[in-house]
Amino acid sequence: MIRNGRVYEVFARKKRADRFEHVGAVSAPNEQLARVYAWQTYDEAKWFEMTVAPRDAFAAVNRPQAPFTLGGSGGRASADSR
Amino acid sequence: MTESGFRSAADLPEGVSGHLANLILALADNKRLLGIRYSDWILGAPSVEAGIACSAMAQDEWGHARILYAMLRDFGHDPSVLEHERASDEYHSSELLDRDVASWEEFLALNFLWDTALSVQFEMLVESRYEPIHYKVRKLLEEERFHFDHGQGWTSRLLSAEGGRAALAEAFGAAWNACLRGFGPDDDPLSGTLAAHGIVRRDAAGARARWLERVGPVAAETGLARDAGSEWVSTREPVWEDRWLLRRRAVEGGPDDDSLARVRGDRNRELLMD
Repeated sequence: MIRNGRVYEVFARKKRADRFEHVGAVSAPNEQLARVYAWQTYDEAKWFEMTVAPRDAFAAVNRPQAPFTLGGSGGRASADSR
Repeated sequence: MTESGFRSAADLPEGVSGHLANLILALADNKRLLGIRYSDWILGAPSVEAGIACSAMAQDEWGHARILYAMLRDFGHDPSVLEHERASDEYHSSELLDRDVASWEEFLALNFLWDTALSVQFEMLVESRYEPIHYKVRKLLEEERFHFDHGQGWTSRLLSAEGGRAALAEAFGAAWNACLRGFGPDDDPLSGTLAAHGIVRRDAAGARARWLERVGPVAAETGLARDAGSEWVSTREPVWEDRWLLRRRAVEGGPDDDSLARVRGDRNRELLMD
């Protein structure tokens, strides 16, 4: 059984002048596949730049809950772990 | 001295045009068939994300094939006939793609080994003296970077999984020979002639060496390649069961009935429009 691995948060921007936007998340067994999955899943725009980071690399600042797990409009795709 | 380029097939020297058309057709057929193999796994991949990747790669391959078939118009071919009217034994695709694959490991052999072998052949065309192909090849190789990463990412995942290494070694081992000889024999007149005229950067042996450089570090994990210091080499010599055919394959025949029907679009043939 191959487990899906970690959840990676995906950020992208359309132009150099833009700020990064949190566009969603992917589950992947490693960073190399996370990059591929992010690029091929969130292909709705011609991105100038895209980046991924493991969700567990983010530290909560003002809330006790882990980042990206509270729902609402924190990211367009609900960043669920499958 | 800078060698001048060729703006169209009509400008190519005698004998070169046919060889280049043959190579482009082989690359187009391989991509069309590979697209089907990718699409077969959209719903059966190990995760939703991997399924989406298969879908994206299938679309890429079909897009590449479409562009390549269209390029053959410059060589006097009718792309519509090439895409929809040929028999199985007129296809120039690798024997690796003749039928569907049974496992994710076999799929990865196509994704990592054979798709990379095709990309290497496109790399050889990046600075081709046949200029119309330049922009298309660059764009295609940008997309192929993600196919390589997908293959390599999954391969390293399986290599670290229990039982994964053995299954991968078996699947890679089964595809290895066809990949090795897929560039043609060292004295292949097609790539030799094209290299001599600056249409491709290196001949068959040179392209094979480049492929080993790209897949070698991973293939070494399955015992198929080793680092020989200045270059990566195969631990096995290519075996030529049949003669190397003009159709860029070493085995007679072609895609099986199901693959052929899908590749030509037989089911919707009556809907084909000019």
